[in-house]
Amino acid sequence: MSIAEKIKVLIVDDQVTSRLLLGDALQQLGFKQITAAGDGEQGMKIMAQNPHHLVISDFNMPKMDGLGLLQAVRSNPATKKAAFIILTAQGDRALVQKAAALGANNVLAKPFTIEKMKAAIEAVFGALK
Amino acid sequence: MNMEAVGKRVHVIQGEYKVFNDPNVVLSTILGSCVAACMRDPVVGVGGMNHFLLPGSASSPASGGDATRYGVHLMELLINGLLKQGARRDRLEAKIFGGAKTIARFSNVGEQNAAFARQFLLDEGIRIVGESTGGEHGRKLEYWPSSGRARQYALTGVETQRTVQLEVRPVVAPRPVESSIEFF
Repeated sequence: MSIAEKIKVLIVDDQVTSRLLLGDALQQLGFKQITAAGDGEQGMKIMAQNPHHLVISDFNMPKMDGLGLLQAVRSNPATKKAAFIILTAQGDRALVQKAAALGANNVLAKPFTIEKMKAAIEAVFGALK
Repeated sequence: MNMEAVGKRVHVIQGEYKVFNDPNVVLSTILGSCVAACMRDPVVGVGGMNHFLLPGSASSPASGGDATRYGVHLMELLINGLLKQGARRDRLEAKIFGGAKTIARFSNVGEQNAAFARQFLLDEGIRIVGESTGGEHGRKLEYWPSSGRARQYALTGVETQRTVQLEVRPVVAPRPVESSIEFF
């Protein structure tokens, strides 16, 4: 069983298309356990019931945004150790700094290539294969 | 007095998006095989337009690939821009224009770009309230972001050809920030 197959990933994005694309990219990278949520609140609900090893979350979302979700994940003892990657359509220095301060593992700008996504995940978990 | 004459005209070029809530603003663009998606929230009166050309392989938003991701990105930028100015996703309505069939060897690109926009909007649950795509001629498009009114003029054959030649062929790898991954 590869490392990717063991990692439970939660995708959080308000755009259906983005969730599909990200899910597709993750499957290509060998991930098998993928769950998706449409906003931060829903994402946190899933995490609280079933902590995932890796959260890949969009920044700009209704209800709870990516940074809000990051804060919620980090402040819950059951989920605080999860790896967290923030995706952003608007690359902006301030957001990167805030995400780092709140304990994000990576910030990845959209549109990302599969190679960049792989690199971002491998920076946290080591080589996937 | 012709009110349109005193309005502010803002041009949207390929790869760009613009969002306004000013009723005096008219967004304009010229489309060959490129496609422009115009979206607005009629309740708050904010609207915007993007303008893109994706390689022919990007006809379905969920098909994966870098070109698709770029197209989805341009749609997302426009939507995020609208939401930032008070629009609500569930109220958004869209019009799509462009995607003319042009020079023979690129014949499918325009059509596939229009199909991409249509499928994206469908997947996202955004209502399409107007569409003029395909055909043999390019378009000069005007869109009033606040009212959602759109007007288009067909380009002549020569103008269409010139426009298509100026449209940058497949744009795949844009650089949104200086470094796209930040490692902490």
